Amino acid sequence: MNLHINLQGAVMDFWTMELGDMGMTVGELVTFVLIIAISVVIARIVRVNTRRIMKERVPKNTLSNLEKLFYYGIIIIGFVVALSSIGFSLSGLLVAGGIMGIVIGFASQTVVSNLISGLFLIVEKPIKVGDSVNIDGVDGVVEDVRILSTTVRTFDGVYTRLPNDKVFSSNIQNYVAHGGRRFSYSIGIRYRDDADRAKEVIMGLLEAHPLILKEPAPQVFVDGLGDSSVNLKVRMWAPSTHWYGVYTEMLWKLKVALEENGIQIPFPQRVVWFENALKGDIATRRDNAG
Amino acid sequence: MPPVFGTYDLDVELAEQHIELSLKGDGKRKVYRRQVNDDEVTKYINADRGKLIVCPVEPVNAPDESISEHLLIELERPLLIEPGSTDTFYLKFPVEVGSFLVDPTDVERIDIFTLTKPKYTLYGPPESGIICKWWKSDVYSTAPEVDRLFEGVLRVKITNNYREWMELAKLVFGAFDMKIFYNDHAYMDARLVIEKRTIGETSFNARKPKGMHRAVDIYEAKGLKKLEKSYVIEWGFK
Repeated sequence: MNLHINLQGAVMDFWTMELGDMGMTVGELVTFVLIIAISVVIARIVRVNTRRIMKERVPKNTLSNLEKLFYYGIIIIGFVVALSSIGFSLSGLLVAGGIMGIVIGFASQTVVSNLISGLFLIVEKPIKVGDSVNIDGVDGVVEDVRILSTTVRTFDGVYTRLPNDKVFSSNIQNYVAHGGRRFSYSIGIRYRDDADRAKEVIMGLLEAHPLILKEPAPQVFVDGLGDSSVNLKVRMWAPSTHWYGVYTEMLWKLKVALEENGIQIPFPQRVVWFENALKGDIATRRDNAG
Repeated sequence: MPPVFGTYDLDVELAEQHIELSLKGDGKRKVYRRQVNDDEVTKYINADRGKLIVCPVEPVNAPDESISEHLLIELERPLLIEPGSTDTFYLKFPVEVGSFLVDPTDVERIDIFTLTKPKYTLYGPPESGIICKWWKSDVYSTAPEVDRLFEGVLRVKITNNYREWMELAKLVFGAFDMKIFYNDHAYMDARLVIEKRTIGETSFNARKPKGMHRAVDIYEAKGLKKLEKSYVIEWGFK
């Protein structure tokens, strides 16, 4: 019993022993080291799990940035907690940190804005790598969505970096977010041509094309009676990943098919009526003149 | 000349209907040629061991494998299924033919082609639907006769677990899960379980029927792992 009490006393003595001029006991040092160690372990666990959970969901660069953010964030929090556990007054640190925070905050508000926007973009996922998009007037393919910026390769091959706060606050058009995409042509035919026959020819061509979707079905209808032509509207859907090839291919094919069936696309024309009928016919007048 | 489907040495000439296929050459230097109507493919092949397999593949790869991973079969006449019943029907599906170089360690795809006219459709609403390879088939109570290079036989066991009669006008299958077999024609054995008015699940039976060969699995040939074991039909059967 005595031995037990003595041992406990010895441990307590050791635990409360001052460490030189450091103003710190052994117990406080052990607590400090333990908190730091635990925070490192937690940070590692969080980093591994972040990688495991988000590996398939976010781009590689973004994932790397997120991992670092969580890892060092947790270690910094652990360090602050450890400092307070050894009686280190954080008030001075907080005042200094507060002032520094204001300075850094003003200096880096754009960076923080981009960072927060980047996080929202990762969560909301309006775009992903490989998507064809229009962001703030920039048309192209998304190359990467990073924590601060998004890079787009425009369709003419130009590397374009867009800050994430701009991406987040801009209108984003994602051309491939949905499976299918509709596009249309306007085709004018002569008034003397049979519009029903023209619709039949166009429909035949649309139905034969593999990438023009069966459903939603293509539509061909008379859309207007113009000055020089009867205007047909031709609407069709194609897989959004392949629509542009179909779009560039079909218009000429439709023109050729219509002409092969005797249906012409007219030039602009105007019928002129004379108030007073011409005397004689033009051929007679020309003969007389000759 | 031998029929198109089969396993051959690396020196062969095949012809059937509008398909002509050959792999010929001296020593390791060989030339692969395939012609289907006006479509011709020629490739040089440097190989002296292994085999050439020509077999049906998942019918979602021609003309472009990146368009869709699903097959939608529209029924010429709708099929009404009574509640709580299970029955087996037969459909036809489009045949796509693949040629592969195989040796004990690897499978390499050379070419995929089809005699059918491919067509795609959107299944589901425009904002969330999926692009599917489209085909139209009648419903048969026994295995139908097929033009073997044009269509295959799809056996479907349908179970209606829903409390009401169900009218089926279309069935959707995931290509990831397909198991294709062949002898003189291509064959798949599928299952459809109807759970609700708009929800069902399609899957495929992997057991090899007697007297048939297992086709090369194109997703395994591509080195892709199969995560999905079935396809959940979400947007109804009409």
